[in-house]
Amino acid sequence: MLEGGKISSGQAVFLNITMIIATAMLAVPAIAAVHARQDAWLSMLLATLLALPIAWVTASLGTLFPGKTLVEYTEDILGKWPGKLLGLLYLLWFIHICSIMIREYGNFLIDVFMPETPLIVINILGAALAAYTVKNGLEVLARVNQIFLPIILISVILIFLLALPEMKLERFLPVFEAETVKIFKGAIVPWGWMGEIITFAMLIPFLAQPGQTRHTAVITIPLVGLFFTLLAVASVAVFGPVFSNMNFPVLNAARVINIANFIDRPEPIIMAIWIIGGLLKISIFYYVSVLGFAQWLNLKDYRPLVLPVGVILIALSIAVAENMLELTHFLGNVSPYELLTFELVIPLTLLLIALVRRQGGNRQ
Amino acid sequence: MAAFFNKFRRPRRLNTPVQKPVNSSGGQNSQRQSGPGHTSQSRTLSSDIEDNLRSLKEIFNQCNDIIFREFLFAQREHIKLALIYIDGLTDKSQVSDQIMRTLSLEVPTATDKAAITKENAWHYIKMRGLCVHQLQESQKLEDVINAILSGDSILLVDGHATALIVGSRGWAARSIEESKTETVVRGPRESFVETLRTNTSMLRRKIKNPNLKIEALQLGEVTKTDIAVIYIKGIASDGLVQEVKNRLSKIKIDAVLESGYIEELIRDHPFSVFPTLSHTDRPDRVAANLLEGRVAIMVDGTPMVLVAPYLFIEAIQTPEDYYEQSFFMSGVRMLRIISMVIALTLPSLYIAIVSFHHEMLPTPLLLSIAAQREAVPFPVFVEALLMELAFEIIREAGIRLPRDVGQAVSIVAALIIGQAAVQAGLVAGATIIVVALTAMASFTVYYSGSFTFRLLRFPLMFLAASFGLFGIVGGVIAMVVHMASLRSFGVPYLAPLGPVITEDLKDSAVRAPWWAMRKRPHLIGQNNPQREAPGMQPRPPQPKNK
Repeated sequence: MLEGGKISSGQAVFLNITMIIATAMLAVPAIAAVHARQDAWLSMLLATLLALPIAWVTASLGTLFPGKTLVEYTEDILGKWPGKLLGLLYLLWFIHICSIMIREYGNFLIDVFMPETPLIVINILGAALAAYTVKNGLEVLARVNQIFLPIILISVILIFLLALPEMKLERFLPVFEAETVKIFKGAIVPWGWMGEIITFAMLIPFLAQPGQTRHTAVITIPLVGLFFTLLAVASVAVFGPVFSNMNFPVLNAARVINIANFIDRPEPIIMAIWIIGGLLKISIFYYVSVLGFAQWLNLKDYRPLVLPVGVILIALSIAVAENMLELTHFLGNVSPYELLTFELVIPLTLLLIALVRRQGGNRQ
Repeated sequence: MAAFFNKFRRPRRLNTPVQKPVNSSGGQNSQRQSGPGHTSQSRTLSSDIEDNLRSLKEIFNQCNDIIFREFLFAQREHIKLALIYIDGLTDKSQVSDQIMRTLSLEVPTATDKAAITKENAWHYIKMRGLCVHQLQESQKLEDVINAILSGDSILLVDGHATALIVGSRGWAARSIEESKTETVVRGPRESFVETLRTNTSMLRRKIKNPNLKIEALQLGEVTKTDIAVIYIKGIASDGLVQEVKNRLSKIKIDAVLESGYIEELIRDHPFSVFPTLSHTDRPDRVAANLLEGRVAIMVDGTPMVLVAPYLFIEAIQTPEDYYEQSFFMSGVRMLRIISMVIALTLPSLYIAIVSFHHEMLPTPLLLSIAAQREAVPFPVFVEALLMELAFEIIREAGIRLPRDVGQAVSIVAALIIGQAAVQAGLVAGATIIVVALTAMASFTVYYSGSFTFRLLRFPLMFLAASFGLFGIVGGVIAMVVHMASLRSFGVPYLAPLGPVITEDLKDSAVRAPWWAMRKRPHLIGQNNPQREAPGMQPRPPQPKNK
């Protein structure tokens, strides 16, 4: 086995949550609001419902092929060469979204807090930290995540609690103003984001209690959906539908906070959340790419791949888009289809083929 | 010191250079040199007392603290006896009253003269002639030498090849005092001393149970230091005890003068700045640790006892937490967490905010700091670094300086580094406040743990000066990742926070009342998890009428 460590179900749920919300929480409510306006929170609920099957498919594939990751059982299902090809596609996809994350990570910090620092510096530092985490293995990643994720969640909730004086419930009215189609359109991006649960397919073999795989995968989605919905509700309550123009409503919410002239603009909290959360998310996808490549190449250890993959990630994070506008456009209009292809269409097809051809060792 | 560690790195070559001094005082070399020609250094005693004395005198040649007292067991036959001991390591009144006096005066006159012959003298002395509490026997020269060096007295009887080892240890020792390193308001005052036996007795007095095991071994080729491995059988897991013993048995070193030697030789991660063994001079702390399933390592000659495994969370735990009210101590623990964060990050946060993130401060405060800094010629990083260095110098001087000049130094330090530096416009008042608060905060956590923060504060300041908040947060993440990768004797260093062990959170940032802490720490005490019976929560008696 490439990875010696085991993670508990609790740690896995935490990892899954970080995997989805860390980078999404700042921007997702606004992206949903572009279409659904003040009904963005409905889009979030819809996205949660739509994402549940993805989690179910992920867990089903994992239980069907116990002890194997996504990159490994594609070969079992499709045969050696097509399987290898699909595995490679998935690895490239992981690397692609990971590099986009690094880009977002650096861009946010530079745009908002450090306008004079070159992007590449932040990207290199972030990737180096993630590489250090990845090198320490899955157990360490899970532990670090267990320490930081509660801090992140509590901080975000705290920001909105502090913004309570700014909230007005009339801003939700009229409810259901948007047409169903628009609510659905608003749900697509969060759906794609929640669908990143498919990455869990790479971690299933390392669960200490394999019996809880399905439970672990499926419980993540409602938790994340609840959190996203809360974010959307809070954003609407503070800003009304206009927040669809904002890049990062959570950050803006922090900016309006002023309590007794003492707690004044607690943006640094947002920055810390972003640095920590983003880094954890990058580490997870980085880890998954490195581990996947090691499995794909039949290596005995994944650590030698950490550095080369890291270099690719950094280079790609610069090359992936000309500027932030292009990136936002890509995230809002193109990436949902890319994401959903890899998250839903292919896994569902794989599952169907496996079921029809009666493959897999662990069928109920 | 460097040469000393180099020797350790090449254990093969240890024997030649280090054992030379052993040669003059006997010990293990006798084994190697015992060839046909070396009868005087043979490993067993001979039955001729003159022979034995000659060889011992040769071994203890030029050790002028060794006393050879030869006298006659006045009987019909004159049986020669020899008493050998170290002046200063033995209880003199015991040697003269209970050994010499009884043997030379009382026994010979009190008993039937015909009863004792040269043949049965040894047996007679052993069974009836010595009023001492501790008596062993040995035929090995090596044992005899070790016994003499440990402060026991050796009684040699002419015509018998077995030496009597009389327990007569007693030397000038520091009396038990109040702990200097960890003081408490409520709780026992005593602290360990330099004598191993006194220390084990203090533990035994707290834990009156035959399962408290105290295993002895000796480390140090030259110093032959006594070490005790202490654990409670049935609570400490056998694997842990075995692991500790294994690691100790691998140590080959010339000297063990303090438990720190052992700590560095058995720790899990030699290149980590985080301690993975704790040390304490408080018997109550060690007792509590043993009762949680940990293992203590006691070293003769130092009051500092090592305890393994040590987890990060212990930096904010003190013995007093468990004696004082749980609600109040939970508050204090949170205070310690805040001070820990302050001790680590406050100077770097100050640097980052003043040089990068002005918007984080409320405007009046920002203006006030800016006004103070107007006259300061240095960038804030240099300023804070200088003041931190100045404080570290004061602290170090405070430990090293002779007690008599203490006052002078403290006045100079307070006046010059504090007030005068601000008045001269060298540093801003805010910087002094930051540095002073940081310094005070670092004293609220476990002392050895605070070294880590003192050390890591400086890289964080560099990071803050170059990358602002991003640098600080990134540095802290790297620290946490590093800590998460550590293990102390198999236990994850950040437990119960990462991995989260829900049940052990009762003794982390809060300290649950005793009736709620029903179980020992999960990863350490799983061998025997139950600490107390269920349903211990006290309730007032319920009225019985319905």
